[in-house]
Amino acid sequence: MNNIFIDVDYAQIYKHGQKIGGDVFLLSRNPENNQIVATLSDGLGSGVKANVLASLTAHMAHKLSFSPISLEHSAEIIMDTLPVCKERKISYSTFTIADIHYNDDMENIAVNLIEYDNPASLRFSGAEDIKWDRTRTELKREGAFKKETIAQSSFKMDIGERLVMFSDGVTQSGLGKSLPLGWRLDGVRKFIKEEISANPDISSRELSRAIVQKACALDGFSSKDDITCVVVYIRRPRRTLIVTGPPFTKEADEILGEKIRNFNGKKIVSGGTTAQIVARLFGKKLKVDLSCWSPDVPPASKMEGIDLVTEGMLTLSKVVTALEKKENIADMPNDPAKKFVEILLDSDQIHIIVGTKINEAHQDPNIPFEIGIRRTIIARLRKALEENYIKETSVEYL
Amino acid sequence: MKKPKVKVRICLGTACFVQGGADLLLYNDFLEPEVLADCEIEGCSCLEQCKVGGGQAPFVEINGKIYDGVTQDVFCKLLKEAVKE
Repeated sequence: MNNIFIDVDYAQIYKHGQKIGGDVFLLSRNPENNQIVATLSDGLGSGVKANVLASLTAHMAHKLSFSPISLEHSAEIIMDTLPVCKERKISYSTFTIADIHYNDDMENIAVNLIEYDNPASLRFSGAEDIKWDRTRTELKREGAFKKETIAQSSFKMDIGERLVMFSDGVTQSGLGKSLPLGWRLDGVRKFIKEEISANPDISSRELSRAIVQKACALDGFSSKDDITCVVVYIRRPRRTLIVTGPPFTKEADEILGEKIRNFNGKKIVSGGTTAQIVARLFGKKLKVDLSCWSPDVPPASKMEGIDLVTEGMLTLSKVVTALEKKENIADMPNDPAKKFVEILLDSDQIHIIVGTKINEAHQDPNIPFEIGIRRTIIARLRKALEENYIKETSVEYL
Repeated sequence: MKKPKVKVRICLGTACFVQGGADLLLYNDFLEPEVLADCEIEGCSCLEQCKVGGGQAPFVEINGKIYDGVTQDVFCKLLKEAVKE
């Protein structure tokens, strides 16, 4: 596993009263080419029409970014394809594309950034903002009332640097309400600096969420436009270990204990019997926390030295389903599955140790079929983490 | 001298939880407050009864004695008796 991680995440709040967003964010990782493409597009207006336009733009931008065509040329093709609004004589959608390339060892992270009519992106090294040059190309299209400018820039990103992209819902928040001219770029920059200063390791997920929530608050909690923010953060990977299932032989218990002890990162034990084995190996007490459970997920337990101790198959099933459906954490009931998902989403590299001993209690025909085979669940967990959240995972069997 | 509280452990292993253990966790709703006041209820990740064989989940341990197939009604009855003793 690599020692550098590119953490990309976004947060979005739709315009108040809308059930669909006019801002569309797409993220793909192409490990064969060592490439990550993040595209943010904002369609004119809001609701379904804007969503169709933004989706169209974002998908075009996305597909073209993975093609051999240069990003500048791709941007021109997209702009030429975009319709121009007959009344307003402006483009139907705007976009920002970050095309990120890296070496096999994750060193030399190079970003090619294309910005078209979205608010200017911001860069930070720690809490300090970075200024950089952009090359501007003008394009006059038929029907448009003004020349349009594409800004292109290329730069390298090092550990601790962030790239923040957002839609105009962020910079224009509070317009005419709490702030006469809206939050504006300077306000957003100041807010991000403060957030990073207060929490230097803030993850992309948390930072993007903090920004959109602040923007929504400035709008009086009734957002006037779709508010979207994307954060790219280069950092050391956060690691999490999941231990589930007792080892096949009793002799392997000690090996399991050793592996947990030596792991540097967050530790989750999932499984009642497994938890008892770990408690015995570490000589620690296991206490069930009856304050945190739901009808679908049994309570978690507390053990010194382990970040989360949960029941096994039911909790894992719930976690996998939430990750597969990309459920919003805030909407999940306050149970151990929610805590589990939170830890996973805040991690970059997840190592799973699967004990292969068969649980006699699960062979009872009265038990629901969801309590499937542990290995199947783990395979689904890995797939969801890798495909939906771009996490690195590895597994070993004991 | 004050009477010691009745020690209750509800098995919350997967098999017990799905076969009625979850209903027992709602004890605040169905147990009488005076019974509840005299009990010390905690969860247990597994009472290991499923591995012994025999008996039906969910399992509950009351003052060291194991009971099987405990429903909410049975749980009420067992605790009332234990408190009386």
